[in-house]
Amino acid sequence: MEALLALTIANLKSFVRDRAALFWTIAFPVIFVLLFGTLFGGTGTASFRVGWVDLDHTASSAGLEKAFARTGVLTLTPMSDASAMAQTRQGQLDAVIVVPAGYGAAVGKARGDGGTTGSVSLTLYTDPTHTSTAQAIEQIVDGVTTGVNQAISGRPPLLSVAVRPIAGTAIASGATYYVPSILAMAIMQLGIFAAIPLVQQREKLILKRIGATPLPRWTLVGSNVLLRLVIAAVQTAIILAIGLVGFHVRITGNWALIAGIVALGALMFTALGYVIASFARTEEAANGVTQVAQVLMMFLSGIFFPIEVMPEWMRSIARLLPLTYLGDGLRQVMVGGSPFVPLGVGMGVLAAWLVVCLAISARFFRWE
Amino acid sequence: MDLDRAREWRMTESRTAEARVVECRDLRKRYGDLEAVAGASFEVRAGEVFGLLGPNGAGKTTTIEILEGIRSLDAGTVRVLGLDPRRDARRVKSRIGVQLQTASLYPYLTVGELIDLFGRFFPRRLDARRLLGALGLEEKRDAQTRTLSGGQQQRLSVALALVNDPELVFLDEPTTGLDPAARRSLWEVVRGLRAEGRSVLLTTHYMEEAEALCDRLAIMDRGRILELGNVTELVNRRFRERAVHFTAIAGLDAASMRAFPGVDRVVLEGGEVHLYTSNVAATIGAVLAAAETLDATPEELGVRRATLEDVFLDLTGRALRD
Repeated sequence: MEALLALTIANLKSFVRDRAALFWTIAFPVIFVLLFGTLFGGTGTASFRVGWVDLDHTASSAGLEKAFARTGVLTLTPMSDASAMAQTRQGQLDAVIVVPAGYGAAVGKARGDGGTTGSVSLTLYTDPTHTSTAQAIEQIVDGVTTGVNQAISGRPPLLSVAVRPIAGTAIASGATYYVPSILAMAIMQLGIFAAIPLVQQREKLILKRIGATPLPRWTLVGSNVLLRLVIAAVQTAIILAIGLVGFHVRITGNWALIAGIVALGALMFTALGYVIASFARTEEAANGVTQVAQVLMMFLSGIFFPIEVMPEWMRSIARLLPLTYLGDGLRQVMVGGSPFVPLGVGMGVLAAWLVVCLAISARFFRWE
Repeated sequence: MDLDRAREWRMTESRTAEARVVECRDLRKRYGDLEAVAGASFEVRAGEVFGLLGPNGAGKTTTIEILEGIRSLDAGTVRVLGLDPRRDARRVKSRIGVQLQTASLYPYLTVGELIDLFGRFFPRRLDARRLLGALGLEEKRDAQTRTLSGGQQQRLSVALALVNDPELVFLDEPTTGLDPAARRSLWEVVRGLRAEGRSVLLTTHYMEEAEALCDRLAIMDRGRILELGNVTELVNRRFRERAVHFTAIAGLDAASMRAFPGVDRVVLEGGEVHLYTSNVAATIGAVLAAAETLDATPEELGVRRATLEDVFLDLTGRALRD
């Protein structure tokens, strides 16, 4: 027990002092969470630059400007007609809204008779080469004008739509998807990268040297597993903290269950690391195999994009990979993501992978 | 534990119970087609420094690793401290010290941390500070092992072999790749081990190392022990003569040199001639006369006593130098 603890602490010190290992297991996933969380955060940070050309100059047109500004997604810049067109052409503006002269008069008239007479038209200029931006702005403008029309006429709409996520399957933002996914990726890397120090220690005869002491071999394996579990806990804490603080991801699941899934994943991928170390003769070979394995799993296991959007052939590969089930399980438990397979089935697949990896390592792993 | 007390304890125990710390009989080990050890027999007495001398590939490392219990044997019997190193592995490993041929260990740990870590693998351990002092590593205590020089790494690996206060220390090529100063400082460490009453089994392919350190030694080549004894015995058993040596001369063959006065034996090796003679003056005279008739000069002409090098050359027909 004393030796197990001492060896684990020694491994931990080695790990922390080896900058490369620290980068791949901590910094790399953190960068990914920050990157993907920011890119696909979807929490209303998007904003469009819109030129505001007011040819009316009345209190009504000023009120209309406020109504657009209240949406929070349009940054309005008041300007003259000519300069707005020029800036749109140079790509400095996403769109231009022109309020015609006589808008205020028309509004005043409409208020008088309940909005049944006459109409006035805003002009919206958009860049047709940026389809999605143009569509988004059209919808926003449409929404605002509808609201203004109702306010003027004083008649609430008969039919309206309230959009709500289905309970229990809410993926409210990109970050909610990416935080558990990238945690799964980090655990995968942590586990399979165990192969590299193992092969190093075998090549440098460290394993053989320890074999010449009375230390039982299970202690060596045990300390390695303990080390990976400790680092997995640190990874989980860091990634969750970033998700909670940086992207307001709400963790809905049971903490014990999350810890259990993280531990099962770390064990399983560490065992896979031993499998790689069983067949890789040199450090270079181990490096190559782990790199290929991690990249393949990263892109084929629904880490960066959901399995549902994959073509069928890709999905059938994803079904075989353990990372698919770790990511799926963590999404289900942490943020209530919609299941690819039921949690029990996913954990069963992980456990099966663990057993197979253990059996292969026990048979083929060499100490020297 | 106090070193002097430990030494006394070991000496008395050794003298009574274990006069022989290693017994190795008809040891055989094969790797595929290669017979690495082909029937080796020798023993190491308590308190002595015993050397296995031979070129690379002679089977020294295989032999020593079988004795350490980290490699299995195919045939023969071995006893280490009276125990079977495989069946009683835990007990044997607790009482022996092991230094492997290549020494890099946990590059990111410091010397002090590594000594402490290894100490925890054993039921019994020496004080780390005294150990580092004895090996001249006290200033490197807080240095990560990857920053050490070759000589320091080697001394560290010997220090690790001593953490458990072993009765018997195995050193496999402890000075290979070291500069002469580092080699000499390690020799002092080995002499210190003997002075403390420990037994040492070391392998080397350096003649002068075997001559300088070993009480007794076995010459090993191609998996066999060719000769066994102390250095003087080994030399005297074969050579009463001196060796006259010079660079080979074209036209002067072995048969004609054997006819020179006093010459018992002629060895031609690597462009050099060695004439083992009981009459140095007459032999040199004959060499000079023969050279003159061939209109040549014998370069690098010299005389020396026979050494282990000659013993090895005589036994195998090859030089031991790497």
